[in-house]
Amino acid sequence: MTLWTMILKMSEGFGKTCAIFFLTLLFSLPLGMVVAFLRRSKNKLISNAMRFFIAVLRGTPLMLQLLAVTYGPYYITKSLDFISISVARNKLIPVVIAFSINYAAYFAEIYRGGIESMPVGQYEAAEVLGYTKMQTFFKIILPQVVKRILPSVTNEVITLVKDTSMAFTVSYQEMFTIGKQIANSQTSFLPFVVAGVFYFVFNAVVDFGMGKAEKALDYYQ
Amino acid sequence: MILEMNNIRKSFGRLNVLRDISMSVDAGEVVSVIGPSGSGKSTLLRCATFLETVDSGSIRYMGTPAVTTDEYGNANYVSPAELRRIKQYYGLVFQQFNLFPHRTVLKNVTDAPIHVQKRDREEVRETAAELLRKMGLADKADAYPCQLSGGQQQRVAIARALAMKPEILFFDEPTSALDPELTGEVLKVIKQLAEEDMTMVIVTHEMPFARAVSDRVIFMDGGVIVEQGAPENVFGSPQQERTKQFLRGYER
Repeated sequence: MTLWTMILKMSEGFGKTCAIFFLTLLFSLPLGMVVAFLRRSKNKLISNAMRFFIAVLRGTPLMLQLLAVTYGPYYITKSLDFISISVARNKLIPVVIAFSINYAAYFAEIYRGGIESMPVGQYEAAEVLGYTKMQTFFKIILPQVVKRILPSVTNEVITLVKDTSMAFTVSYQEMFTIGKQIANSQTSFLPFVVAGVFYFVFNAVVDFGMGKAEKALDYYQ
Repeated sequence: MILEMNNIRKSFGRLNVLRDISMSVDAGEVVSVIGPSGSGKSTLLRCATFLETVDSGSIRYMGTPAVTTDEYGNANYVSPAELRRIKQYYGLVFQQFNLFPHRTVLKNVTDAPIHVQKRDREEVRETAAELLRKMGLADKADAYPCQLSGGQQQRVAIARALAMKPEILFFDEPTSALDPELTGEVLKVIKQLAEEDMTMVIVTHEMPFARAVSDRVIFMDGGVIVEQGAPENVFGSPQQERTKQFLRGYER
């Protein structure tokens, strides 16, 4: 197999890599905000439940979570005997669910750190001016939080690009899974090099985009 | 009567910060509150602006009760909606300015009148331009707070508070965070407002300024009002030993 056919085959899987990446961001970014809010809830039951949720998701391997979400429903329902859910034919769904929940946990902690770093004077100024809680959050707090957390979010996004390769554990045919199959059948290391270049270029683009975003928010301190 | 506070008590844990304080402010009156650090003067202001909740006592703005105390001695605040309406009666200028750093000067001033008070956009923009001109900041409308000096930022904060058309304006040590050479420009603006009969309560450490600008001076210590009266009386011939002692510290 020539290098060129290798690249062609792997780029067929690249669309699926992108699907995991963008869908995960689409769901985990807002979900993380919800988790961050619940985590900050005054209700001890809710905040502790979220604390536990975050601890489990950050404390266990993403690989394990992928396996659990993909195959878990099958084994659980099988043991219940009277119903049975088969393993999803389209593995994109469980993969995106697992990734989204996992990344939401990380984003939640980044959001929380950002929100709690805001000076109390901003809330007080907004309160005296008569802004509602919603207005205060969306008009005053959130825009400033975004600026503060952008470098940490960039970190997570770059990690996500590379983490998409973990989908090979459930045989989802994304780029890395295909590369691994080629490597096995051809007994060649070359597909891994190709995969490495793919991820590197992808992340260069991410880095560039996030750098632009940070620059756009540079107009104030 | 714009503001009436009666028998206000406030404690943080075991520390009694306000011990049965009563004060009222008439329309057009300028009241300075002076006293040593920890005397409770900032807490009094924060209670008046509902940034702190009182333990007991009553607060009324323009005759409308905001806080009442029941027979068991517990303070009851009116509903949040009612409270929001009452908040329109006053403005507060903070020691640390607390401008919104991600917004231009103009947007800092116009946003709340437009989105909280739902006033006409054009009218608000004209009012804001006029206020900024008055503050000597006409050319700074499109600047961001971080591009301004402390004195300029504080004048923006004053414009922001005034744009809400409050009946009474509170100042919490408006010049304490400023370099000494920048305090003058802020005090000048406040003096100008006093001449226009703006009702104001000013917590300050600037004694000559308090003496010059106020109709009444309140000296607080240990959570109580020790002495109050016309500035020439409080500064010129204080009656209480504690007042004399405090003012001596400012003489040179």
